[in-house]
Amino acid sequence: MRTRWGQRAGRLFLLPIILLGPTWLATGRADAQPADQQAQRLLASRCSVCHSTDLIQQQRLPRDRWEATVDKMAHWGAQLDKEEAALLTDFLATYFHPEAGPVVVLPAASPPVQADQESGTTPAPGWAAARGAALYKQNCLPCHGEAGSGGVGPKLARNPILTQADRFRTTVSQGRGAMPPWGAMLRPQEIADIHAWLNTLRD
Amino acid sequence: MTSHEGPGITRRSLLAGAAGGLALALTGGRLPSPAEAAEPGADDQTADQPLITHVARPLDAETPCQVFTQYLTPNDRFFVRSHFGPPALESVAPSVWRLSVAGLVERPLSLSLNDLSTFDEITVTAVVQCSGNGRAFHSPKAPGVQWEQGAVGNANWTGVRLRDVLQRAGLKAQARHLQLQGADRPVVASVPLFTRSIPLKKALHPDTILAMRMNGAPLPLLHGGPLRLITPGWMADSCVKWLTDLTLQEEEAGGYYMQTAYRYPSRPVKPGEVIAPQDLKPVEAMVVKSVIAFPQQGAILSPGAIMVQGVAWTGEGRIVTVEVSTDDGKTWEQARLVGDEAPYAWRQWRFLWRTRGSGRRAILCRATDDRGQVQPMASPWNPGGFLWNGWDHVQVQVRET
Ligand code: HEC
Ligand code: HEC
Repeated sequence: MRTRWGQRAGRLFLLPIILLGPTWLATGRADAQPADQQAQRLLASRCSVCHSTDLIQQQRLPRDRWEATVDKMAHWGAQLDKEEAALLTDFLATYFHPEAGPVVVLPAASPPVQADQESGTTPAPGWAAARGAALYKQNCLPCHGEAGSGGVGPKLARNPILTQADRFRTTVSQGRGAMPPWGAMLRPQEIADIHAWLNTLRD
Repeated sequence: MTSHEGPGITRRSLLAGAAGGLALALTGGRLPSPAEAAEPGADDQTADQPLITHVARPLDAETPCQVFTQYLTPNDRFFVRSHFGPPALESVAPSVWRLSVAGLVERPLSLSLNDLSTFDEITVTAVVQCSGNGRAFHSPKAPGVQWEQGAVGNANWTGVRLRDVLQRAGLKAQARHLQLQGADRPVVASVPLFTRSIPLKKALHPDTILAMRMNGAPLPLLHGGPLRLITPGWMADSCVKWLTDLTLQEEEAGGYYMQTAYRYPSRPVKPGEVIAPQDLKPVEAMVVKSVIAFPQQGAILSPGAIMVQGVAWTGEGRIVTVEVSTDDGKTWEQARLVGDEAPYAWRQWRFLWRTRGSGRRAILCRATDDRGQVQPMASPWNPGGFLWNGWDHVQVQVRET
């Protein structure tokens, strides 16, 4: 019993941190793995459709419980294919395991470097919009629907915000309300590509 | 509420996006916004926050313990538990609101709020507590919102007896369970609805009420307004909010939220053990419990006499003793039960603690009810992390200031 109280006492002084909610801190650690990056994108694009991700970050579960949870969520409508589910489960089991303690430090999310974009060749016309379509599907579709038709998030096709490039960029990169901020996960060029694609949509 | 420039914004996005803003307008107080709640490294201001947010959307937020120095928990400081968040405002307007009573009844009813007010009015003071309150203290951890002490409150609930309404509909002999459905809906239709049921015996209990007022005010939207069920003595998973549909039936409600979630093993289980479905029963009555409201966790106190304060409650019985220990549970002394005693309300208690020496001290408390239930040091582990009622404790520093 002694040890039990001892352990608790140690925990108790961390309580104010727990109570404030942030159990997910990003740091500037440079060695972020691509899989970790992708998992964080999945959390933002697929897992925050129905609830904010604080519900996920406050869990401390063993791998089998994470598997069961991700499975349940997919069953309920989280849009994940098998590979994405496995990658996400791996990430959750690595960072949010039972011994993780009250504060979990995650690698900083940063947009992946695209070799083809750095190469300096002039893209063919329509290239940006094509890239944008793929990025939209990955990151925005679960909330904004097929062809920007709307869903949990507002309709984006022919949305007046498309006529204001600056507002579009800041809204997407900083997030708003239930929309996660994309600034740490998408490069300005990628946000511009999504914008270019949205501009091609008609209704 | 949040501003929405988009022309194509749906009701759902509005709800989801404005959860924080809605909360503000609807409890009549200020709630932490999702942005604030997610702010890492903010100062420890939990004491001044109306509620401590665990999930920003849909809102799950608990009451800071020091609010429990009051007998009645104010509406804007009462914990909020959401499965999907409140329904759209237009769907709960008094002009459109209907309560349907159907299934195994002689005369199906569709009642407006005005119709309901023709039944006898009744007020019950009752504790409402989330089944997962204290989940964070279970070891190993159980999945779900990591509530600590504050997913509980004590309020005056005013409304009409459920029994009276059911009797007007006339029950058929086969009716055994009452299914409960509220107007809240998930953002994605493939998510199961929060459909619950209670056995007929509880439904016909004269203290089970359809509540329309909370602490004298119209029931706030976040707390289930215009109408929620109150099942005094039972955990809040039965206290369905935004109640629109009562269905009398032979069987318990089906679906995830009745058949899988909110169930508790009927025998002791080991963490990770596979439990047969027939060994899992719905969470119903509350268990005996007490918490410390003063002093606060981490408080720095001058040596001398300190009035420790708290509350204690139980399910369908009365609190008979509350004990306090200031030596890590080696010895216990009785606290004084004070204030009102009402069947389903909590009991306030006080304990005059004369500090000895200085340094870090833990204050523990435990309650006992008239059925011989004693609050244990730690509650039995269960897969859902329900019914935590382990001894409460706060750590303080005693030192000359
Ligand atoms: C289609 C809607 C939806 C999506 C998308 C979704 N969830 Fe959930 N999630 C829910 C619901 C509904 C609950 C239960 C909420 C309640 O009852 O309070 C939940 C609860 C949870 C919980 C708490 C534990 C539990 O089992 O109740 C965790 C953890 C969780 N979700 C993780 C995730 C992860 C990880 C993802 C992304 C793969 C995800 N969710 C995506 C709907 C969703
Ligand atoms: C988790 C769900 C979700 C995801 C994923 C998401 N959004 Fe959103 N988005 C929303 C919601 C909800 C709003 C409305 C926010 C508010 O005003 O409260 C919104 C608003 C917007 C707006 C502003 C629209 C207007 O009418 O002002 C733009 C632009 C936008 N999102 C673009 C994107 C893009 C681009 C992506 C992908 C990179 C994306 N969103 C991913 C939920 C999401």
